[in-house]
Amino acid sequence: MGLKKIIEKATFVDIIKGLSVTGKYFVSSKVTVEYPKEKLVVRPRYRGMHALLSNPETGEINCDGCQLCATICPSECIDIQTSEGTDGRKQVDYFNLDLGRCVFCGFCEEVCPRAAIIMTPVYELATYDKDDFALTKEKLLANQDNAHKELRGR
Amino acid sequence: MIEFVFLVVKAVLFLAVGVGMVPFLIYFERKFAGFFQTRVGPTYAGPGGVLQSFGDMAKLLSKEDLTPAWADGPIFRLAPYILFVPPFIAMTLIPFGPMGVDIFGYKVDMVIANFDAGLIMFLALSSIAVYGVVLGGWSSNNRWSLLGSLRSGAQMISYEIAMGLSLVGMIIMAGSLSLVDIVNQQAGNFWDWFWLPQLVGFTIFFVSAIAELNRGPFDLPEAEQELVAGYMTEYTGMRWGMYMMGEYVSMVVVSAIIATLYLGGWRAPLEVLGFIPGFIWLIGKVLAIIFLLMWIRWTVPRYRYNQLMDIGWKVFLPLALVNLVATAVIVSVI
Repeated sequence: MGLKKIIEKATFVDIIKGLSVTGKYFVSSKVTVEYPKEKLVVRPRYRGMHALLSNPETGEINCDGCQLCATICPSECIDIQTSEGTDGRKQVDYFNLDLGRCVFCGFCEEVCPRAAIIMTPVYELATYDKDDFALTKEKLLANQDNAHKELRGR
Repeated sequence: MIEFVFLVVKAVLFLAVGVGMVPFLIYFERKFAGFFQTRVGPTYAGPGGVLQSFGDMAKLLSKEDLTPAWADGPIFRLAPYILFVPPFIAMTLIPFGPMGVDIFGYKVDMVIANFDAGLIMFLALSSIAVYGVVLGGWSSNNRWSLLGSLRSGAQMISYEIAMGLSLVGMIIMAGSLSLVDIVNQQAGNFWDWFWLPQLVGFTIFFVSAIAELNRGPFDLPEAEQELVAGYMTEYTGMRWGMYMMGEYVSMVVVSAIIATLYLGGWRAPLEVLGFIPGFIWLIGKVLAIIFLLMWIRWTVPRYRYNQLMDIGWKVFLPLALVNLVATAVIVSVI
């Protein structure tokens, strides 16, 4: 051990350097977000709970029942049943999405030709009841209120 | 009779301050640990989380007191007390004000036990506390506990000699082993205290005191990452809580001893500030030392087993001897 090193050790240079680093953190502003009290704003493209969009003027559901989302879904969590409506067009009777299976990959949103199914920034999905994971058409339509403002009313 | 009453009052006050500080020390430890890591620490219980420790204590008291079937029962149950009691006895030695103060017309010494060999008493008591760790780890009959207590034993051998020797220089300067006399020798401003002439001894004693307290960076006996909780692994409920509380009580006591021996005890840093009562200065110094201990704990990573022994045997022991010889020569010449 050289003389310089001995002097450095005797005067606790390294430890004082370390103490000054932690001392700086001690007085700096804290990074903690106290979650239930304050919440982070997620990014606009965050992939959270799904929503189905409807026409804001007529209230009609945008979905045509083309089954593209159900087909591309890697975890096969979308189940769509359609029938012929009174005007001769296809109508969606039943649109079920099982959140318990969903991997939030966002393929359904990307593949949708009408931009009817979208993903919202809703991320607080924990629940005591498994049935809450089964999203029906009504629940998905209701969730469109949480959609990003640029996706709404299109 | 009236002396006995004053003695009881002093003892109760000391106990209340010593024990009453512990929950808040634990709270501050956790709060500061957060601050040093840019977190906020406990915030939920009470304003700013002050009541966190009391909640933890209630939780610990309500937990099952479990003695493992393979543990050595009586010793297992006794060990926490061996660690817990000595710091309280050592508390009696600490002077917190001048001798013979006039209170309601009676002369009262501001110390519980003006003991001639107070320093030896402190060293003996702090050595006894190690038995609590060693016996607790051994009687748990668990490999982590055993390794923890083994480390504690080896650690004690390496730092205690240097710790004792580092004090001798200070004893030569003070010419007394009584803590009351040692404080009286340090009368004056803060540059008259013993930390300046005894800088080497002070440093050695301070570092050894960290090892004595089993705190980071010398928390080898309870190294969480390697030994689960070291000697405390098998303890549950309030027995574990006693280890935890004993650790913080001894932190208060050792800080008070450091303040008494090297930082002027209850004396004000400048003579003009002498109008403020002594115990406030003592508590202030104790809290400052405790903050430094916490700062060091949350900054410096844990030393390895052999590194601690290297420091103890190869650095501190020779340094303490050199310090002793130099002090003896200087004191006898002057």
